[in-house]
Amino acid sequence: MELSDDLKKIDENLIKQLNQIANDKVEYWDIRAEVNNGTSLDFTNQKSKEISSFEIINCGIRAFKNGGWGFSVLKDPQRESIKIGLQKAMKLAKLSESLTKIKFNIARNDPLIEEYKSKSKKNLEDIDIDNKINLVKYHEENASNYSSYVKNTHTLYMDGHSQTLFLNSFGSNIIQDLSLVRLFCMVFTNKNGTTQSSVNSVAGVGGYEIVETEKANNLSKKTAKEAVELLDAKSPVGGKLTVIADSKLTGTIIHEAFGHACEADLVLNNESILKGMIGNKVASEQVTIVDNPSMGQAEQFNLPYELFGSYFVDDEGIPSQKTIIIENGILKNYLHNLETSSRMGVPPNGHGRASVSSERPQVRMGFTYIEPKDWSLEDIIEDTKNGILCKDFQYGYTDPTTGNFQFKCRFSYKIKDGEKKEIMRDVSLSGMILEALNEISAIGNRKTFNYSVGICGKGGQRVRVCDGAPYIRIEDITVGGLS
Amino acid sequence: MEDSDIYTIADFCSKLIEKENSEIKCTDIYFEKSNYINIEIEENSIKNSETGEDNGVSIRVISKNGSLGFAYSNKLDRITLEKICKTAIKMMKVATPDPDFKNLPNSFKNYPVVNGLFDKNLKYLEIEDSINYAEDLIEICKDDEMAISQSGNFASGYSKIFIFNSNGLSVSRKETSCIISSNIIVKDKISKETSSGYERQIERSLSKLNAINVANLALEDAKQNLNRKKIKNMKGPVILTPKGTISLILRPVAAAINADTFQYKRSFLVDKRSKKIGSDYLNIEDNGLIHGAAGSQIFDDEGVPCKNKKILENGKFLKNGLLHNSYTAGKEGVESTGNASRGSYISIPSIGITNFIMKPGDLTLEEIFKDIKEGIILNYTGDSPNISTGDFSGLILHGNLIQNGEVKEPLNETMIGINLMDLFQNIDAVSKEYRVYGAFQAPWVRINSVNIIGGAN
Repeated sequence: MELSDDLKKIDENLIKQLNQIANDKVEYWDIRAEVNNGTSLDFTNQKSKEISSFEIINCGIRAFKNGGWGFSVLKDPQRESIKIGLQKAMKLAKLSESLTKIKFNIARNDPLIEEYKSKSKKNLEDIDIDNKINLVKYHEENASNYSSYVKNTHTLYMDGHSQTLFLNSFGSNIIQDLSLVRLFCMVFTNKNGTTQSSVNSVAGVGGYEIVETEKANNLSKKTAKEAVELLDAKSPVGGKLTVIADSKLTGTIIHEAFGHACEADLVLNNESILKGMIGNKVASEQVTIVDNPSMGQAEQFNLPYELFGSYFVDDEGIPSQKTIIIENGILKNYLHNLETSSRMGVPPNGHGRASVSSERPQVRMGFTYIEPKDWSLEDIIEDTKNGILCKDFQYGYTDPTTGNFQFKCRFSYKIKDGEKKEIMRDVSLSGMILEALNEISAIGNRKTFNYSVGICGKGGQRVRVCDGAPYIRIEDITVGGLS
Repeated sequence: MEDSDIYTIADFCSKLIEKENSEIKCTDIYFEKSNYINIEIEENSIKNSETGEDNGVSIRVISKNGSLGFAYSNKLDRITLEKICKTAIKMMKVATPDPDFKNLPNSFKNYPVVNGLFDKNLKYLEIEDSINYAEDLIEICKDDEMAISQSGNFASGYSKIFIFNSNGLSVSRKETSCIISSNIIVKDKISKETSSGYERQIERSLSKLNAINVANLALEDAKQNLNRKKIKNMKGPVILTPKGTISLILRPVAAAINADTFQYKRSFLVDKRSKKIGSDYLNIEDNGLIHGAAGSQIFDDEGVPCKNKKILENGKFLKNGLLHNSYTAGKEGVESTGNASRGSYISIPSIGITNFIMKPGDLTLEEIFKDIKEGIILNYTGDSPNISTGDFSGLILHGNLIQNGEVKEPLNETMIGINLMDLFQNIDAVSKEYRVYGAFQAPWVRINSVNIIGGAN
C-alpha cells in the first residue's frame, strides 16, 4: 500500500527507539497518526455556501501505568516530536497513576501486523470537482422543482480519505486506509404558514459509487416528497398507545436508548441501567440485539459499498467483530474497549473508537441492530386494533441512568381496527427502555429489515455509525403531541 | 511557532493568491494556535491526564461575482500552504456566483477594551498545578452517602487567533479559558433508584473557578431527581430553572435571530420584527463586552469589533435584533454586528452569540414559588423547540412537582407541549437571582398555564 509521506517517518528504526524510551517504565503505550484529506460541498437553495477542501494530520500518543492514563496530542508528528510526545504521555500516565484510586492492568493481546484498505469501485481522487458540483446541483434542482411548496433546500456532499497508522507496545503495527462518502439532503416546505421539513442521507465506506446508486439518485426527490406530505399531517392526541415502528425509528431507539447503556465505560461508571444485568432477562424473548461493525455486510442491502459504521480494526488495534448483546431476551455482553475488557476480565470486542487520532478512544457502537423474526408488516398492522405506526425520527434522547427515553418521529399514521389511516406529525414517544423492550409484541421479518446511517456524539467526539431493525410493535408507549 | 512566523505565512499566502488569479475580489486568512490541558475523572477517580497542541490556517477566497472557495490545513510547510491556497482558488472557481456577497470587513480604527479575557496563570499552567481542582470534585462525591459515582473534568486552554484580509485588516487576540464539569450519580439506599445531576463552570481566569461549588450543585441536582413519580395531566404554571430558561428561551431565541436562519425564513420570528412577542418580563441582549465573561471578545472571527446589542425589550422584538456576520449584514444592507463565529480554523464563519443574557427581574425565588397551588419545575429536557415553527413538546428529564408553593417529588415520564410564542407571552415572573453557564446568563422564569402531560393517565 502506498503510505503517505507523513506516516513514512514512523519506520522500524523509530519504533525501536520508542520501545527503548518506554522500556518497562509504563505497562502499555500506543500511537495513532492519521493523515486526512477531503472535500465538502454545501449548497442551499441551489447556491453554494461552502466549497472546501482540507488536509489535516493528527497524532495522539497514549501511555498507561497501573490504572493511570496519559495522553499527549502533537500538532506536527516528526521523528523527534513523536519521541518527546511519548515521554510526555509517560510522564502524564505516571501522574494519573499517582492519583488514581482504581488500579488495574491492561490485559495483553496478540500483536497484529496488517494493512487494510477499503475497496472503491470509483476512486475519489479520480473524480473531478466539477462532477461533485453537478451531483449536488442535480439534487438541489430535484428538490426545488418537486413542488411549489418547497421553500428551502439544503444539500451537503462530503468525502474524505484517511490513512491511520497504529502502533502499540504489544507489537501491533496496523495501517487502515479508508475512504468515505456522505450525501445529505434537507428540504423545508411551507403551506399556509405551516413549515415542515425532512432529512435523508446516504453514506458509506467506499468510493464515489456510494452516491451513484438508485437509492442515492432518489435521495432529494424522496426528501422533498416527505416534506410536502407532512404539510397536511395533523398533530396527534396524547395517551398510551400500541406503537408500530419502522426500521429507522427502531434502529435509533435501539442505538440511543439501549446501545449506550451497553457501553462498558458507562457500566463501570455506574451510569448504566444494565450494570450487573449480564445473564438477566432484559427484553421480551423474541429479542436478539447485535453489534457488528465488520466489513462485508452491505450485500444483504444490495449495496456496492461497505456500511457507514464499518471498520477493519478499532482505534486500539482490535479487529471488528460480531458481538451478541441480547440473545432471546437475555443480556449476554457489553461493548468493550481495551480498558473495560481488561477490568471485566473478558476479551476485547473491538469497540474502542475515537473520532480522530487526537482524541482518546472511548467505547462506541458500530452497526447495532435487532435481528428480524417472522412477522410481515401487513400482518403486524392487521393484528393491531388501536395504535399508531411511526416512521423515521427527528431526534431523540435518553437518560442513561434511568432509561427514560423520548423520540420524536417524523411520520406517523393512525392505526384503527387493523388499518392504516391518516398521517400525523410531531408524534413523540416516551417510556422506560427496559419496560419497552419487554413490551415488544411483534418483530418483523427480513423483508422489513433495513438499516440507517448516522453520526453519534459522546463526550464531544462524533463517530460514524449504522443501526438496523425490522418493523417492530411495542405495547403501551406514552405518545405525546402538541395538543 | 512564533508570531513572526505567522505574519510570514500570511504574507506568503496573500502574495501567492494575488498572483494566482485576477478574478478574486477579496481573501481572508485565519490562523489559530492553541494548547490545552485536561484532567479527566471517571468513577470518581482521576483517570486520564492529557496535554495537546494544534495550529492551523484557513484561506477563504471570494471572486468578483461572489463565489466562495475555502481550504484549510494544520500542516504549515510551504508546499502544503501553496497547495491549500491553490485549492481554495480552485474551489472558488467551481462555486456558484452569489450577488448577495458584498465584501469582507474593512480594517477598523478602534476596538473596544474588554479586560479579563486572558489569564497569564492559565497560559503557563502546568498540569501538576491543576490537580487540586479535580481532587476537590472527588472529595465532595466521596463524602456524600448517596453519591455512587462521578465523571467530570478540569480543562484549560490558551489560544491566539490572527485574522488578515485583503482589505487591510490585520488583527490578533489571545484568550484563555478553563472549565470544570461534574456529573454525579446518586442512589437511594432504600428504593435503589438512581439519578444523575450535571453542572459546569466556564471561566476566563483560573481564580474564579470553584470546583467545590460545581460538585455540590451537581449533587443537589441529582438528589432532587430521586424517587420520581408519575403525575396526572394538568394545566398549570411551569417554573424554568436557569438551565430550563437556557433550553426553552435563550437557545431558541439565539437560533431564531441568527440572520442566516432568518434570511432563509427558517425562524419562527420572521414577520415578528418590531412587534411585541412576549410579556414585559422578556428582556434579552447579546453582549460581547462584559469584562472577564466566557462569551466576550474584542472582535469576532472576521475581525469585526464586538458590541452590546439589545434583542428583546419588554417583550418587543427590536428591529435591529438580529445577529450578523459580514455576509448576512451585506445581504441586508446593514453593518455586521460582530457575531461571526468559526469554532476553529476548519470552519467558514457562521453566526454565533457572545454573552446571551436574559435580564433578571426583581422577585426573590420564594416570591416566585409561593402563590403556586399546583405546578411544576422544569430543570432539564433533552428536547429543543422547532426553530422554524416555535413548537415545543418535550420530555422533562429533570423536574419537580410544586404544591402550595413547595417543591415536591421529581417527575417521571412527564411532558409539556407549548408554542414558544405562547410561552413568551405567558411569562409572569422573573427572578432576581440568576446563573451563568458559559456564554449564557439566565434567571428563573415562571410561565403560567402550560399543558402538562403526566405519565399517570
